[in-house]
Amino acid sequence: MHRSTAELTSANNYYEDFEVGQVIRHARGKTVTEMDNVLITNMVMNTAQAHFDEHFMKDFMPDVPGFQTRVVYGGVNFSMVMGLAGQDTGEQVIAELGLDRVRLRAPVHHGDTLYAYSEVLEKQNSDRGDAGIVTFRHFGVNQNDVLVFEGDRKVLMKRRQKLPS
Amino acid sequence: MTWSRGNHFEDFSVGREFVHHWGRTITESDNTLFTVLTLNYNPIYTNSDYARAEGHARSVVCPLLLFNTVFGLSVEELSEIGGPFLGVDDLVYLRPVLVGETVYASSRVLACRETENRPGFGIVTWKTTGINEAAEPVITFQRANLVRKRP
Repeated sequence: MHRSTAELTSANNYYEDFEVGQVIRHARGKTVTEMDNVLITNMVMNTAQAHFDEHFMKDFMPDVPGFQTRVVYGGVNFSMVMGLAGQDTGEQVIAELGLDRVRLRAPVHHGDTLYAYSEVLEKQNSDRGDAGIVTFRHFGVNQNDVLVFEGDRKVLMKRRQKLPS
Repeated sequence: MTWSRGNHFEDFSVGREFVHHWGRTITESDNTLFTVLTLNYNPIYTNSDYARAEGHARSVVCPLLLFNTVFGLSVEELSEIGGPFLGVDDLVYLRPVLVGETVYASSRVLACRETENRPGFGIVTWKTTGINEAAEPVITFQRANLVRKRP
């Protein structure tokens, strides 16, 4: 590669840049369209037609609020929110380690807009000097500030400066 | 007649195992499309030159696409009949998956319980595992759904 990986990514989102307790509002939102939901749901062969058959939804769950029309697949909701948080909290990630306490709090429909917030829960050293482990709690809210998703994510993130060995 | 698909709450009992259908080769186009639609800007997913500089043989599959692919394979047997997807716990990415690799999914029932506020539904929790073509586990997670009871 004729450029360094550091030249191709942001300068402000390494392990050292995060402090436990810090809360970040991510710059961009995204309106989740029918294209996003139906494309990703069908691409991953999720066969639940509540995400892609509008006609079926009329009688599917008449007594559950928000389920009279297609709902966005929950995996799309939290992938989108973690994506919106991705440049800030994932551009320097060497490996995603895991997720925990992921909760889908409210349904999302085509045309809803999602915004992402992240809180730094924990930082710890890893077994390598050039990277540390960060745990974030991500939050996704819609255009009405209703919480639609929250969940914890643990990553192995590059340090700007290697620890002395 | 309709050939129905999926299972109801009564079909699940703790310990029951499912080997899910199909498997899926995650292609470069799947990975690029998913990554850019979700704005997940780490170049190891979208720039193979960068991925090689980071020590991978080619682009890495975005872990959220890996999750969604393994989840998708499990839906017909676990949750297609319906009831909202409630959450995921204890998800571990065990090794990176590269574009072109094939994944398979299986699940085991961890818990089945009644719920007072949604008559007609119960809550089922499963542990799902994704493996690659060498049968190495690549992801495990627990998930819970409301699951419709038999009418």
